[in-house]
Amino acid sequence: MIPDFDQQGQAQTKEWTPEVQAPAILLENVSKSYGRIFALSNITLALNGGVTGILGMNGAGKSTLFNLLMGKIKASQGSIKLFGTNPWKNPAPYARVGFVPEHEKMYDWMTAHGFVSTFARLNGLTRDEAGIEADRVLEFVGLTDVAYKKIGEFSKGMRQRVKIAHALVNDPELIILDEPLQGCDPLARTTIMNVIRELGKMGRTVLVSSHILQEIERITEQIVILHQGRLLALGNLHSIRERLDQIPHRISIEAENPKALAKDIIDIDEVFGISFPDGRNVSIQTHNLGAIHARLPKIIVENGHKVSSIDNPDDDLASILGYLTSGGRV
Amino acid sequence: MATKPDSVFRSLDRKAAAIVEFTLRQYRTRTSTWVVLGVGFTALALIFLIYIDVMASEFESVDNDGDSFDTDGDGYPTGQERKLGTDPFSDESHPGMFDPPIEPEPASKYINEDGFDWDVTASFGEQSTGYDDDGDCLNSNRTASQKDTNENGIPCDIIIQRSTSPTGEIVIQIFADEGVDEDPDEDAYTREAIHLGFVLSIGKLGFVLLLGIFLPLFMATGLIRDEMTSGTMHYMLAKPVARTEVFLYRTLGYLGIVWPYVIVLGILGALVSGFVGSGDDFFRFADLGVWLAIVFATMMATLVYGMLFNALGVLWKYGIILAIPFAAWELGMALLSMGAPDATILRFSVIGWALMIIDSVAMMVWPNLDTFILMGEWGGGGQGSDIFGSSSLQGSVPLSFFSSKPGLGLSAFASTIVATLVLLIQAVVFWFIGGALFKGKEIQ
Repeated sequence: MIPDFDQQGQAQTKEWTPEVQAPAILLENVSKSYGRIFALSNITLALNGGVTGILGMNGAGKSTLFNLLMGKIKASQGSIKLFGTNPWKNPAPYARVGFVPEHEKMYDWMTAHGFVSTFARLNGLTRDEAGIEADRVLEFVGLTDVAYKKIGEFSKGMRQRVKIAHALVNDPELIILDEPLQGCDPLARTTIMNVIRELGKMGRTVLVSSHILQEIERITEQIVILHQGRLLALGNLHSIRERLDQIPHRISIEAENPKALAKDIIDIDEVFGISFPDGRNVSIQTHNLGAIHARLPKIIVENGHKVSSIDNPDDDLASILGYLTSGGRV
Repeated sequence: MATKPDSVFRSLDRKAAAIVEFTLRQYRTRTSTWVVLGVGFTALALIFLIYIDVMASEFESVDNDGDSFDTDGDGYPTGQERKLGTDPFSDESHPGMFDPPIEPEPASKYINEDGFDWDVTASFGEQSTGYDDDGDCLNSNRTASQKDTNENGIPCDIIIQRSTSPTGEIVIQIFADEGVDEDPDEDAYTREAIHLGFVLSIGKLGFVLLLGIFLPLFMATGLIRDEMTSGTMHYMLAKPVARTEVFLYRTLGYLGIVWPYVIVLGILGALVSGFVGSGDDFFRFADLGVWLAIVFATMMATLVYGMLFNALGVLWKYGIILAIPFAAWELGMALLSMGAPDATILRFSVIGWALMIIDSVAMMVWPNLDTFILMGEWGGGGQGSDIFGSSSLQGSVPLSFFSSKPGLGLSAFASTIVATLVLLIQAVVFWFIGGALFKGKEIQ
């Protein structure tokens, strides 16, 4: 209960003895229920190092998981440890954590620099130190030019980057990003993805949630899939993808001359059906996505087809979830 | 990272100062802050204007003993005849028949001609005081028994007797010899009484009650709650700061705007009442002590209520609704403390203790306040100077209502210390309660 008199950024210092060996995140049989509804049930997870994507549809429990990790809510069952310490009881581990909340609301009246440096001081930095750190992280996310502009004037992507900067200001070992790409324009998306990848390369443990598979795919291969509060899959996206490729898939190609392209494609063994949804597209059905993707570029180039886009409408989270929840039968 | 050695200021410059500063800047950006502060200022300014207007007006002087009249029509006012020993009821007897004859004096000289000469020192028992200025008691024509109607062996004095009734209340009785201090200056008394009553009433009702409750009600209830509702609390709670600390530092930030505001209004009040107030001095320096107490008591009240209302905001989304019964209770306690400052129930309020600070300091700064009220209530002992047939002087009744004795049975200084300590303990208790509530709160 007593305030942290030395203000050095580790509240309740007595209780806080960091375990050197403890993983960044350790969840054991964690459940969170609201009345009889389980938002999360029986999650066991240990993460340390690298970038991990948390995939799940809206309401799958991603935000609940993050709120538990950030000590916002209390687990109904099980134990949660951040660097070996229960975050609900003790905020001390946050000295080593950076969090980017999903909430859009920010302090619009503050400048980016003011926001980042003010909250940096909560990590136990003095005003001067916080100012220097704020400059550093704002440069890292590419906002140096607008550092002294009000957040209220920022675009969605810039606001997200300010939030990321604020989370990085204490040079954290664990960074948690809740839907950081949501609502961002493509340019901001790329910048943010680069930042996250960069953090991964720097050896940080990064946790990033999304409900869009392609986004996560561009950032990391290590994924955790949540579905209806349960941990559905955990591991390398490619191994999941390889199994997924064996099930029927559609590939939609937008070309100048769809009929001519179809004629060349029909020769591929793995293709078992072709249709023309409209005048500009050709839709291919296949059992082996990987094989098609391996051969398709060559066919297009050799025959001089003009293709404006190749799309996999089935290659999204919903179909992965459908595949995983049906036990491999589609 | 810390390359310089840590001083106390460098230490505080971190979390605590950051949240306090942040809270202050956040208040500055809100319209509601300026509306609340503006309304508070306007309300008090209006009361000050009324006070200035009252102090500028004249109060009618009353001839309590009727000796400015020339009852027998011989051209000499009764007072002059009494003083010189002629018969005021016979035109055959007047000072004009003296050798050499004495000219009649103007009747106005016998209005307010015998003011209070009280020097009350004993707090208990019987004391003799008063002096007959106009000589209508000490007149040499009168017999010894006429001069000593209260039969204490001292001619032309007033007995003030304090005793304890069977029920334990202190009873004050005044026995005056006829013609002593019987015609005081109403204008001077009323002006002084209104001034003192104003300082006490605006201090107690305007500052401690109005500012002390409404500023926290509108400014402290949302300190934590608004952040929880808007989702911005996530930024603060994602940092290594205990929630109890966030609660404390946010409240300190609120005090950072409320305390200077109260101090400025207090200085304004002290200046207005100091320059406009009654008395011959250019500025009433003696009142500054009471104003200091008023500002201090208001600061303590805003501290305790700030912690309490902030906690209520954490407890429930509509914490302001929970705060309203508290505000009503405190209003009742404020009124009760003026009527019955000894009531035990006052100990269960915040405002009872805050008002005790003002009462205690007023006792120290104005040591003659009790006597002054007593004088006014006695008012010369005559009959019928107001419509109720009471001789009380105008202004003494409200003054007596607004001033009360700290009901702890301690000295004034000790009461101030005790009240301050109790308020600080209350603040700490509400901080702990609020912190514990906040700690157990799940934030979505």
